[in-house]
Amino acid sequence: MRSGFLWRNRVLLASSVLLILSLHLISTGVHPGDLAARPQSAVLEIISPVDTAFTHLSDGASSIVGDYVDLLHVRDENKRLRDELARVNSDHARLEELEAENQHLGNLLGLRDALGTDAVAANVIGSDATGLSHTLIISSGSSEGLRVGMAVLANEGVVGKIITTSPHASRVLLIDDHNSALDGFDQRSRARGIVAGLVDYGVRLKYADRSQDIQEGDSIVTSGLDGIFPRGLLVGTVKNVRRQGPGLFLDVSITPAVDFRELEQVLIVTQPPPHLDDEAKD
Amino acid sequence: MRLILLFGAFVVLGLAFESSVPHLVSFRALIPNLIIILAVDLGLRHHGVLPATIAFAMGYATDALSGTHPGLNAFMMTMVFLVSYEISTRLMVANALVGATLVFFGAILTALGAIAIANGFDALADTGAMLPRLMLEAAISAIVAPFVFAMLAGSKRLAGLPVGALRE
Repeated sequence: MRSGFLWRNRVLLASSVLLILSLHLISTGVHPGDLAARPQSAVLEIISPVDTAFTHLSDGASSIVGDYVDLLHVRDENKRLRDELARVNSDHARLEELEAENQHLGNLLGLRDALGTDAVAANVIGSDATGLSHTLIISSGSSEGLRVGMAVLANEGVVGKIITTSPHASRVLLIDDHNSALDGFDQRSRARGIVAGLVDYGVRLKYADRSQDIQEGDSIVTSGLDGIFPRGLLVGTVKNVRRQGPGLFLDVSITPAVDFRELEQVLIVTQPPPHLDDEAKD
Repeated sequence: MRLILLFGAFVVLGLAFESSVPHLVSFRALIPNLIIILAVDLGLRHHGVLPATIAFAMGYATDALSGTHPGLNAFMMTMVFLVSYEISTRLMVANALVGATLVFFGAILTALGAIAIANGFDALADTGAMLPRLMLEAAISAIVAPFVFAMLAGSKRLAGLPVGALRE
């Protein structure tokens, strides 16, 4: 039995079956509610508290390192005063952090009021595990009403959309990911195009007609036509416009309005934007 | 079961590290790809259907926290396992140097393969600017690999699992 062909090549055969299964998953995709989506949701649910703990741990570690460096410069003072100073500094830093967080959340609430729609605030707790895609992990999930496809915003502008949810965490596809696309237009000239990410970091306005008047420094905003992002939200500013070479379309580079690496809190729009036809009827 | 639990614990810690730390440091390439190191260890030292399935599961767990095409990392980790297994069985070596070399090339090839499968082979033309970053990440992963192998060996001893390669 153990000298048979199948037994001798069992690892190769099992691996081949798993490779075919992987290709099947890649080609068909995994939709919310699918059996194949459950393990992914479970992994996100397991990792998100560990991510949150790692984030707190690293914040604490950098605070301790900072305090230690400060103390090296005040070694003439006695130990009690140094401890006291460190404690006061630590409290002060924590209060400043809380104040900054409060201000940020206040701004997000202001944005929500300005949008006039239902929205939920969430903390950013992680980023893409391999770095090959541009995604974020946030601290809210389906139990807070988040669903796949919802728009994610920051004070500065558009962040991306939700691609996976678990009960207490979600993943956000950033607008600079190669697989991201949203409908936008130049606020000055009204020239339309598709805002898409690049394989490496960067954002482009694709399919903008060569005859359109798009200039450096112009603001690109959402059109609302994709049914995900409310109309008029800032996506970024035009960095570069190239008209050389053959082709029907302009080559437009955009600097995103949001610095994705600095993001700490985001706002998720839980109510889809009204269809533009409905708005016109109103 | 012990192998599943051991690698499960390492995967949870590895994925939490890989997803939380990059958000705190400015240079992503400094973060090693720990999941590839685990897949190489499985391929070099654990020869069977269960380790192949664990490699697939590790990739699928990575898919939950990375990328937009579920199954992509599962495919890549199964490939890394298979290549490591073939090298281990044919060359009859499973030392840290071979492991680190496999991790280095595995990290680069899986990254390029993932980009090609997810975005089409045309996208590889746009990866020129990414290559130095990918190579640096692969080099750091290769440098870290022997330490992770040592940690895994220690954990396997504690769990009563065989540490060396099991020949068929």
